[in-house]
Amino acid sequence: MNILVCVKQVPEPETEAHIDPSGQWVKMGGGSNLRMNRFDECAVEAAVQIKERHAGTTVHIISVGPASSDAIIRRAIGMGADQGTHIVASADGFVDPSTIAYWMSRCPAAREADLIFCGTMSEDLMQGQVGPLLADRLSLPCASAVVRVDLQLKDEQVQVEREVEGGYREVVALKLPALLTIQTGINQPRYPSLSNLLRANQLSLDTRQADEMEEVSSLQKVLRMMPPRKLRDGRILKGSTTEKAEQLVTILANRSYLS
Amino acid sequence: MITTINKETILVVAEHFQGDVRPATYELVQAAETIQQIRPGPIQILILGQDVEALANLLAETTGKDVLGISAPQLSHYNGQVFTEALVDLLSGAPPAYVCVAHSSRGSDFAPGLAARLKGTCITAVNAIFACEEGICFSRDLFGGKVTAEMVSSASTTVLTIAPGSYPPSSGSHLKRRGRGGVQHKKISVKEKKSKTLSIKLFQTSDVDLSDALVIVSAGRGIGDAQNLERIYALAALIPQSVVCGSRPVIDLGWMPYDRQVGVTGATVSPALYLACGISGAAQHISGMKGSGFIVAINSDPTAAIFNQSDICIVEDLDVFIPALIDAITTRR
Repeated sequence: MNILVCVKQVPEPETEAHIDPSGQWVKMGGGSNLRMNRFDECAVEAAVQIKERHAGTTVHIISVGPASSDAIIRRAIGMGADQGTHIVASADGFVDPSTIAYWMSRCPAAREADLIFCGTMSEDLMQGQVGPLLADRLSLPCASAVVRVDLQLKDEQVQVEREVEGGYREVVALKLPALLTIQTGINQPRYPSLSNLLRANQLSLDTRQADEMEEVSSLQKVLRMMPPRKLRDGRILKGSTTEKAEQLVTILANRSYLS
Repeated sequence: MITTINKETILVVAEHFQGDVRPATYELVQAAETIQQIRPGPIQILILGQDVEALANLLAETTGKDVLGISAPQLSHYNGQVFTEALVDLLSGAPPAYVCVAHSSRGSDFAPGLAARLKGTCITAVNAIFACEEGICFSRDLFGGKVTAEMVSSASTTVLTIAPGSYPPSSGSHLKRRGRGGVQHKKISVKEKKSKTLSIKLFQTSDVDLSDALVIVSAGRGIGDAQNLERIYALAALIPQSVVCGSRPVIDLGWMPYDRQVGVTGATVSPALYLACGISGAAQHISGMKGSGFIVAINSDPTAAIFNQSDICIVEDLDVFIPALIDAITTRR
């Protein structure tokens, strides 16, 4: 059983985002901390849990991103994955999710996988497209926003629950090989273990350069980046903590929320 | 009237659930009208399901648009693959210029793959559509709402998922004045090859009605620790008719039950007062609460996106500010 997990490195949400001089992309503020996308962390955890239950399972990690993405591939191996592929691509500028899906689909690890896990979306770009597009490239059945995975090997299928609005879940059976995009809340991702991290740091990854891979035409682009529209006045309270608290109480009391 | 979908068509894929048209569908019609004003083309609504005749008639009545109803026994439940195959069969001959899909669990599930199959492109979570020098711009939020990107498509078919709340469905009545649209029904059969939806189940029922709450005190990941929730409850106890809710990360961590989740995948609320404590303001949360009367946000990150949606902004550490606020309320009494 081969499981491939697609992971992405993202900035911590508290990081400042500045629009860069090109006006078409952002530069993250100084000292920005990078980490694994939380959805992907849940996807790695889900894969490692399957590996623990089914002997002979191999978990392979793949990431498209700048050189620094190496760190999250090794972290995923530290969580219990076995190997990793790093498609090195520049982080400056928008890359069409269809291109990213194409690059991943060209890797042997994607073609040999019985099960592919992606996060439902990335926390930075929030497009939710790479998973479904990779499934399309590989002609795999796909279910998104998965909150429960039940592998039924004797029927060569995986039965999942996907989250829909209003507290409902859809129960879907997919023939293997299949691709699932994992929703947060499915599990609490473990911390990497020291012994796995030591192994991860010694492992050589399958590293490929995106600019050496075949180009695919992109049908969308970012025209420009803008600061978000301010939809409300946004009066900023000033003063000490106590003063701010008192101002807020006055505002709330004047609007009769406290009586 | 005979319905034809061609390369000029602006297609709306209706969203329905358990026999009702979802409000998102009317938002999609408005988004399609916005596109139409910039780039003229006929708007066509498509509704797929096990037996959608009645819903197709209803949509033609309420929107005044032409509706094509596609009924197939395999569509008794939503299934991404079945849905996509049915759409591809129907559209691949002359793919429409635009396909408007709800940015919902189901819409997000099939939209990217449908775009790929139609040799087009997909832009998700679009919250505004407007004319620009390169034709039509689609704006969407990035980096937790800290930046807005204006995207353009050069594809002959562009599939859009429209973020909920972007085109409020208030204008149902003015749509109606244009008279009834044409309705066509088709019965088809789709093969289930690799994926089958077995059932749909209610995962969690709720005993709180968030839609009735006058005040919502909402906690985000910024509260730091589950123990700090106690302070949020203590604060809420001082505010009459208030309910404590949370954003998705807090529910994922198991700190609160699912029925308290505000946002795209949880509840949509519009209380008189929304007190956002440690909430970053990602689009998924905002669309669940932006209809609130008065919004107060407390966050230690001065660049948090929630401040763009707030009436009152307080940059403070919650560990310090919530106790100060509790003191200030208590003192006033």
